Amino acid sequence: MLRDGPSADSAAAKTLHTLEFRGSGGEYFRIWIVNLALTIVTLGIYGAWAKVRTFRYFRGNTYLAGHPFDYHASPVRILIGRLIAISALAGYSLTARFSPWIVLGWVIFFVIVTPWLVVSSLRFNARNTSYRNVRFNFTGTILGAALAFLLWPLIAVITLLTTWPLAHRARDYFIVNNHTFGGKRFQTQFSAGDIYGVYLTAIGILIGSYGAILAIVLVSFAVIGLAGGHAGALAHINPADLKHSPLGVGIGIVGIVFFVAFYLLVLFIGTAVQTYVHVKSMNLSIDYATLEGGHELRSELEVMPMAWITFTNSIFILLTIGLYYPWAMVRLSRYEISCFGIHAASNLDDFTSEAIATQGAIGEEVASFFDLGISL
Amino acid sequence: VIVAGTFFPAGSSRAIPARASLEGKTLRISDETGAVLVEFPLRQVRASSRLGNVRRRIELPDGSRFETEDNDGIDALFQSGGRYPRGAVLHWLESSYKWVVASVALAALSITLTIMYGLPAAALWLAERTPHRIAVTISEQSLQTLDRLALHRSQLDPADMHKVRILFARISAAGKQGKSGYRLMFRDGGAVGPNAFSLPDGTVIMTDQLYRLVRRDDELEGVFGHEIAHVDRRHALQLAYEGSLLPVAIALITGDASQFGQVATVLPLMLLQSHYSRGFEQQADDDSAVMMRRIGGDPAAMAALLERLDKEICGGKECAPGWLASHPATTERISRLRQEGKSQLPRSR
Repeated sequence: MLRDGPSADSAAAKTLHTLEFRGSGGEYFRIWIVNLALTIVTLGIYGAWAKVRTFRYFRGNTYLAGHPFDYHASPVRILIGRLIAISALAGYSLTARFSPWIVLGWVIFFVIVTPWLVVSSLRFNARNTSYRNVRFNFTGTILGAALAFLLWPLIAVITLLTTWPLAHRARDYFIVNNHTFGGKRFQTQFSAGDIYGVYLTAIGILIGSYGAILAIVLVSFAVIGLAGGHAGALAHINPADLKHSPLGVGIGIVGIVFFVAFYLLVLFIGTAVQTYVHVKSMNLSIDYATLEGGHELRSELEVMPMAWITFTNSIFILLTIGLYYPWAMVRLSRYEISCFGIHAASNLDDFTSEAIATQGAIGEEVASFFDLGISL
Repeated sequence: VIVAGTFFPAGSSRAIPARASLEGKTLRISDETGAVLVEFPLRQVRASSRLGNVRRRIELPDGSRFETEDNDGIDALFQSGGRYPRGAVLHWLESSYKWVVASVALAALSITLTIMYGLPAAALWLAERTPHRIAVTISEQSLQTLDRLALHRSQLDPADMHKVRILFARISAAGKQGKSGYRLMFRDGGAVGPNAFSLPDGTVIMTDQLYRLVRRDDELEGVFGHEIAHVDRRHALQLAYEGSLLPVAIALITGDASQFGQVATVLPLMLLQSHYSRGFEQQADDDSAVMMRRIGGDPAAMAALLERLDKEICGGKECAPGWLASHPATTERISRLRQEGKSQLPRSR
């Protein structure tokens, strides 16, 4: 977690402001459940208003230097976008089962429209976000999106994923470096070595931990097998007789417990490695980012807290048949947001809004429906 | 009413501590010394709707903005100016525990009803209106895939095939589409083992391995009746529609189809699919019993074959837990079929 205060940097005039999330799980639960009920009652139409309320709740509870962010999207535009997105999803979902060729057709269609979806989604979200009466903007082009989201991944596939980290970096550059706040540009830059380091470490962790688990399992199987065989031989127990005896049931329960624990461990390691890549690359692209005017961004996300929160969140959501969801979101936001900050060169009073046209939400809705992964 | 907050001049991030007050029908924003910053008629001013403890935003026509944490104050100010505060009803719903509990109940009830009745009804509606041509296309695709991946040319000798065809013709006469509405195909099941299945266009496929388990003719007739019932009731199409409508329904409510990769979503979906599927199996068993009765056969004959099938596949023990499987537990099916056999009523026919 970052702490506010004068910076220790050589540029003595800079002040560190950290982000802070002030929302609460209980409060968001009530908003969420009313949203859900009204959305169901209106057969999904209220969903557009629900989305605006949700976004306003999260942006509006994110504070920087004593002021919150805000969200301005028009629910009607979101509704229009959503109707188009749902038609596409229904069209895909209903026709995809008929023939693999139809699926291929849809895939090609989505690949072609992806750059447009990426740009319009990022632009919609940026333009509808404000801080202290000044709006964000996104200035990336469709060509830029095509390079970052199609060409780079294609090159990565051709090179057998050895250039995947570079594709990742290209995507992050496209997203960060095209954002502006009050006309001032965000800019990030980090070395290829940094991002390769993230991926190589992740692979190392994966191989190391799965290798260790495999070794433990093999050793314990061997021990149990030997011990069990001896015990069985000594007591003249026929394994088939065990099935209905209390001893057999006991062994069965222990087995199930071990199996569940083992499954959870494997799942947790998977989550942790995924989180590792997410967190470390996010730290790179944000920590190296500057905002025109001498401001430096800070990001100090840590892997274990993030992995733990993500992992336990999904378990709790599963156990509460979804009711934990609002608390999960608040918990995640509170941690994530507390790790971001800005070394401000001034008191943040001098930004001025540029004239920005509002735009439709079709791209944003389609993109969020099909989760194109347009984020850091 | 005086409301304390922060004023931002038009298009600027400069935060000025300020107060909002109402002078007649005019909203006045003044700074801490009392000097007027801006003034506008209240009806030209837009306030964001109330939402938890989120700061309220008052948008002024010139692009300046007043923000305040005093939610009650700003509501009172607007009300005294004769304007109804936006989002008051929503905020009231969100603050009342009674309504929150009601929302939970409503959401749970509608989701349950949709899953139990809504989706199956919609799937049935669509399945009944799907043109036969599409059913034929799907069936051809499926058979091609099956032949490529799992099935092989049948090894049965022609005399056996002939005998099975006669049985098939007998029971298919009791089907909705009559004798000509269905066709039988023989395949070596390979890894699939003893099994029979149907395709939406009326094709029924029997594996050689199943034939080898059969001891009485009406066992096989019962199985064919079961498969014909799947065709008649368009179960395959219904299942496909249920599978594709569910994500659409969830996305419609949540506005997000991206969650389908997550365990928390995939697992319940799988359970639900097998729940629907088990319902269809039971229906097909019941229909098969009715058809068997119609042609004067024993509705419970299939039970014996199911028993043998279970022994063959799972070595005498019951196979999978009932809630996970696509078919109901075999013991359950067998006792249900035997019940059908006992309750054989004289039918006017």
